[in-house]
Amino acid sequence: MKRLALALSFALAVAALLSVASAPDALLAQAAERPLFRDIRAEAGITFQHHSAPEKKFIVESMSGGVAAFDYDNDGKVDLYFVDSLTVDTAHNPNAARSALYRNLGANRFEDVTDKAGVGHPGWGMGLCTADVDGDGYEDLYVTNLGPNRLYHNNRDGTFSEVAPQVGVTAAAWSTACAFGDYDRDGDLDLFVSRYVKLDLQHLPEFGKGKSCEYRGVAVQCGPRGLPGEGDLLFRNEGNGKFVEVGAAAGVSDPRGHYGLGVAWFDFNQDGWPDLYVANDSNANFLYLNQKDGTFKEIGFAAGVAVSEDGAEQGSMGLAVGDYDNSGRLSLFVTNFSEEYNALYRNEGSYFTDRSFRSKTAASSLPYVGWGTALFDYDNDGLLDIIVANGHVYPQLDQARLGASAPYRQRRLLYHNNGDGTFEELAARYGEPLTEPRVSRGLAMTDLDDDGRVDLVLNDLDGFPQVLRNVLEPVGHWLWVKLEGQGLNRSAIGAVVSVKAGGLSMQRLVRSGSSYISQDDKRQHFGLGPNTKAEWVEVLWPDQTKTRLESVAADQVLRIRKP
Amino acid sequence: MRRFLLALVLAAAGSSAAAQTAAKPRPAAPAARRPASAPAATKPAPAAVTSASAEALNAALQRADEAFAAKKLDEAASLYAAIAERQASVRALLGLARTQTQRGEPQRSLATLRRALVLAPNSEEVLSAYARVALAARAPVTAILTLEPLARVLPSVMEYHYLLGVALMQAGDMPSAVFALQDALALEPNRAVTLVALGLAFNSQKLYAEARAPLLRSLEIEPENLEGLAALAESEDGTDELASAEAHAERVLARQPGNSIANLVMGLVRMKQERFADARAFLERAIAADPLSGRAHYQLSLACARLGDTAGQEKHIALYRSVQQEVAQRLAELRGAGARPSAGMKP
Repeated sequence: MKRLALALSFALAVAALLSVASAPDALLAQAAERPLFRDIRAEAGITFQHHSAPEKKFIVESMSGGVAAFDYDNDGKVDLYFVDSLTVDTAHNPNAARSALYRNLGANRFEDVTDKAGVGHPGWGMGLCTADVDGDGYEDLYVTNLGPNRLYHNNRDGTFSEVAPQVGVTAAAWSTACAFGDYDRDGDLDLFVSRYVKLDLQHLPEFGKGKSCEYRGVAVQCGPRGLPGEGDLLFRNEGNGKFVEVGAAAGVSDPRGHYGLGVAWFDFNQDGWPDLYVANDSNANFLYLNQKDGTFKEIGFAAGVAVSEDGAEQGSMGLAVGDYDNSGRLSLFVTNFSEEYNALYRNEGSYFTDRSFRSKTAASSLPYVGWGTALFDYDNDGLLDIIVANGHVYPQLDQARLGASAPYRQRRLLYHNNGDGTFEELAARYGEPLTEPRVSRGLAMTDLDDDGRVDLVLNDLDGFPQVLRNVLEPVGHWLWVKLEGQGLNRSAIGAVVSVKAGGLSMQRLVRSGSSYISQDDKRQHFGLGPNTKAEWVEVLWPDQTKTRLESVAADQVLRIRKP
Repeated sequence: MRRFLLALVLAAAGSSAAAQTAAKPRPAAPAARRPASAPAATKPAPAAVTSASAEALNAALQRADEAFAAKKLDEAASLYAAIAERQASVRALLGLARTQTQRGEPQRSLATLRRALVLAPNSEEVLSAYARVALAARAPVTAILTLEPLARVLPSVMEYHYLLGVALMQAGDMPSAVFALQDALALEPNRAVTLVALGLAFNSQKLYAEARAPLLRSLEIEPENLEGLAALAESEDGTDELASAEAHAERVLARQPGNSIANLVMGLVRMKQERFADARAFLERAIAADPLSGRAHYQLSLACARLGDTAGQEKHIALYRSVQQEVAQRLAELRGAGARPSAGMKP
């Protein structure tokens, strides 16, 4: 009997061990210590719902959709655009999906202006990115699809016109993420589009049939492994309103067809030329080093950002770029599939080191499938924290033995930056908006009410979005910096804003395309902690000229125009 | 780790599941899914043994057993083979397979056991032997296909869960391996070798904190278990306890300088300390001990890159890729064979 008791106690100990590994979400649903976010979607008047087939029998029904936070009407308030998707059953009817544009009316109220704007039916929607492509001072909207992509030109009157075919950026096949950036530094914005899997809707891989269509003995959708991958596209802006696809000549076309998802333009080695990072699902990720002659060299492995620290190719989805350690260099955070870890790659100048486990962001991410993400300062202490939107791809997963994996619906992860290179995962502390199990995809950060606290907007697969208003009290002082560039880069994409406030030295990058197939607010947020002013604010414009302002008061949206 | 997996198999092979459980009444052993390479049961069986010849058979088998016991392996093999040629004797085939294993001929042993399976497809003894030899022959998929039904139908036999766990680890399916090893531990909680295997399986999934408890427990039971110590060092490196990781890895290396995991841990620690030349030396030793360690190749490629050794970096990336390909192939084989698919890999 004693031996049996010992055996039982050990078995219970092992079970307890496992429960830690699987981190049952129910245990996390404890009362919030103090509120951080409040989901204001319903009261804000946002009725958008993303659609997908309930069983997700095909991979294309699991990957949408993005969300954008951008001020389309230049009224100073950030508006929202949600991408909807079709299903295999509704593919023949483009009107079965309705993406939605919401105009910010102020006071956390929104109005659905989709029909007036003419952006409701881009097709089988995936993601998006925004930029003022033609330099007219208004943000345009590029939507990626399974099928032709759309470039919605902003008509400056609350309406948009679809101009992708005329401009030459239609692409085709299955596009996922996109990002505008001036890679050749000719002053206009070029466009990179990642693509995923070659898919023929007439000949879809049969659900649950085949080597790559099972997960833990349960029949699931096929892919991406086992399906042919699609190459990527780089559209060079000719400066005359037309684009030309130059991916192969530039060396970024991915002829081997990795499964491309999240993308980011950023000058990682600070040589003044934008480099390009592409997060690939189930393949090594790419870091394309700008050769300054219109071409790139892929250096992902040598730079240490291609795979996990043990050399495993991960299912990478979304990514964030930011100076999380205030080192003056832009590091990378990449979200990955479950039982892989989200990767924090610290920028060491000319290469990266994988700080995921050392920073304590990795272990807690293992159960989850990560998608949208942001490096953002939720408490205005001057240090970038991390948010990750999660959700599995297989609804059938809940029938399987989960082990260290979370079920289909998953909570979000919130990491507070401790300032010493480590983070603490705190979602449970802040309660339901973060711990409620959901199937999230796109995520964008913004400030919907300009109160200086960063809000988040998430687009869920097959469900309502979350509009998370930051209500944390107390928080530090803050600055939002809105840049206005010149010529054909009025959005100032690629500009770097640096702020010095007390002991804080921070920098932020203006990006088109962010997170997972989404678009963050292009204004740059700085938490200033206890500092009521910044000693200086400096902008490094894409042409490498600088603008510097001294002694800037805190708690304002600061507008800086390129001289 | 691969070397350790082999050690786990050999440790297990030393004890017979049949002997351990001889006193327990058991349900009939299941028919394992027949491996593709196993012959179909269409060959006419040798003549049935009459009562008159049974005595002669037993005597012949006894002689073969004695030769085996006396380590006269050639003689034993020849005797067993002769009996197997003449009679439909599963016992002779098992003896021959055991002798071939002892002679370091796992592939021939597997072939012999396939003949035994034709005669006795539901024999637990044959299936168990077949699985063990398959593991020793580095044929994990074959072993898994044999062990899964054994573990399912004989759930109280710890050995089958343990061996299944080891086979799944060998195949690279660590999440499933964890399940099997936990099932084994539920039956026999204080078995050090199972605890170490579980720790390794957790480490392989980067569940370093989860690996800690079984590894510490294994070291309570066997304080000088070098594999347990090395695995503990690996888990400590994973949780950024570099000083402890280094101390434990050094303890292992003092007694076993070629230990692959300890060398890998030292390499990882030195990489984090940006002592790249030292890291390269440790990682080279890790690879010498375990040439199929993708992690060591990848980290070595990074060390070379940091040292400006482009050729070295490219060489080890190429080696890393070939290792990755092999693992992917094995997992695909596992899925294609219809065994439980990988839990840790997205299809």
